Amino acid sequence: MFAYTVRRVIATIPVMGVVALFVFSLLYLAPGDPAAIIAGDQATPEDVERIRASLGLDRPFLVRFLEWLFRVLQGDLGVSIFTNLPVAHMIKQRLEPTFSLMALTLAIALTFAIPMGVLAAWKQGTWIDRLVMVFAVLGFSVPVFVVGYLLAYTFALQLDWFPVQGYTPIANGLGGWLSNLMLPAVALGGVFIALIARITRATMLEVLSQDYVRTAKAKGVGQRAILFVHALKNAAVPIITIIGLGFAGLIGGAVVTESVFAIPGVGRLVVDAILRRDYPVIQGVVLMFSFVYVIVNLIVDLLYTVFDPRIRY
Amino acid sequence: MSSSSPLLDIQNLQTHFGTIDGVVRAVEGVSFHINAGETLGVVGESGCGKSVTAMSILRLIQQPPGRIAGKILFKGTNLLELSEPEMQSIRGKDISMIFQEPMTSLNPVLTVGRQIGETVMLHEGLSAKDAEQRAIEMLTLVGIPAPARRVREYPHQLSGGMRQRVMIAMALACSPQLLVADEPTTALDVTIQAQILELMRDLKTRVGAAIMLITHDLGVVAEMCQRVVVMYAGRKVEEGSVEEIFLNPLHPYTQGLMGSMPKLGSSLHESGRSKLTEIQGVVPSLRKPIIGCAFASRCPKVTDACRQMAPAIEEKAPNHLVACHYAPRAAAAA
Repeated sequence: MFAYTVRRVIATIPVMGVVALFVFSLLYLAPGDPAAIIAGDQATPEDVERIRASLGLDRPFLVRFLEWLFRVLQGDLGVSIFTNLPVAHMIKQRLEPTFSLMALTLAIALTFAIPMGVLAAWKQGTWIDRLVMVFAVLGFSVPVFVVGYLLAYTFALQLDWFPVQGYTPIANGLGGWLSNLMLPAVALGGVFIALIARITRATMLEVLSQDYVRTAKAKGVGQRAILFVHALKNAAVPIITIIGLGFAGLIGGAVVTESVFAIPGVGRLVVDAILRRDYPVIQGVVLMFSFVYVIVNLIVDLLYTVFDPRIRY
Repeated sequence: MSSSSPLLDIQNLQTHFGTIDGVVRAVEGVSFHINAGETLGVVGESGCGKSVTAMSILRLIQQPPGRIAGKILFKGTNLLELSEPEMQSIRGKDISMIFQEPMTSLNPVLTVGRQIGETVMLHEGLSAKDAEQRAIEMLTLVGIPAPARRVREYPHQLSGGMRQRVMIAMALACSPQLLVADEPTTALDVTIQAQILELMRDLKTRVGAAIMLITHDLGVVAEMCQRVVVMYAGRKVEEGSVEEIFLNPLHPYTQGLMGSMPKLGSSLHESGRSKLTEIQGVVPSLRKPIIGCAFASRCPKVTDACRQMAPAIEEKAPNHLVACHYAPRAAAAA
């Protein structure tokens, strides 16, 4: 197990290398000349050329990539073209709101989605099942920003239960943190709940028809233990897989949600950076999110062995 | 409860399933009883309602689409009238069950110790630690080597025979009064089959449980059982002691079953060898109500009376019940 973990961690290195190359070349190939943008409308071609040279944009691709990679490995993500602040520092400042949003969303999604899916499978074909499925379709098809504005309008403007927007750091108190994040997390969680509930239902339906479920019943095991111990543990692998894959959607959704609720997170940072073609910031954020995603999938792989003893690497 | 009343008394059991194209009458008016400590064999070919009868006893049939009617009296209590929680306290404690498929009947993601221990935790309120201790004892009892290690292992680390031993350990952990064994050896190698049967016989005397042994293997019946119920198309066609059924089968279906079984000592080479016979035709569809005798379409002795009127089950010899118009009544029955 330990050896496997070490091997898997090592295996993420080439993955991250490819990600780095991709992140770097994506921006290299993107349209728009940052030198021209920085120089402004009144600049002469010489000014633009000078700025390009000072940014190192005139040198060969591979040289620039390796130089950049070497600095990244030392934790230096470069300096923002616009604010002149180190990118690593800018991202660090914005991490807490984003990770808070993602963690709360995940917690809400798991709390609701798994019991919903289990219930729907158990009560297959009844109105409960149909209700869950209708909710799942809605959760899928209504975009985050629509749900977000609806929630903000109803629960913040009309009912005044939650603040309309903004963010309170967790250090300033759990209550404020939670009340600020509740609406965005619910808005973002909708899709995730729908996704996980559907997979849970489908997998549970398959598991519940297995012989060992009948054995458990024949032993006198109660319905709840049959569902949540005997069956759910068998259904865990596909559910965890979808949570891991859904994490990518969570990252993308966080960007939109942060804009809707004016949360000063990494999502807002990257949107602003893209609009200003602030290359180092974009590269830093994409690289950071890729890293998080790779780590999440590593955890997912390791969790397989926890839930299914037949999986051994 | 008087000592003469049976442990389990099934009266006119009917288990039907509602399907898209009609009702399937899997069990149609079956009655029999099992006495404390005895082994009753239930035989018949695939689809004759043996397993459904067994599942009906423990109410493991999903309802709906299933529907169970009649009476299943266990020590005088009708199991069909109990609430689900009351039924749960009987399953695994008073009545437990062994299934045909040891490969799929154990939960692949729980340790065998957990699965055996769960039964005693549920029914006897043992702590997790004591339950593991009991699981080790049970594994020792069913002859699994290194039980203290095996108890922490998962089903996929065990062979088929070992898994069936685990199933038996699980079923006997609470010392049930009735063990329903649904084809416990069918999925196993012949050598393992003999071991498992030997184990069941041994444990039966130790635990003192009655066994309802469902099988299509007449050899197993001859070895294990005191009495036999022969089922056909969801009905009981014959019932009697093992000796009566084997030496003097009265129902044409039972006679057919006996004829299709090779006899020890009969030569396969000599010209005068006894031929294996088969029962012609197939089991009738259970979707339509059967008029007359269920076996009529395959019976060599069939007459018009058979096709029109279902034969009642009658005692044609002492302790020997048959449902056939033409089964001879034993001369000295009186």
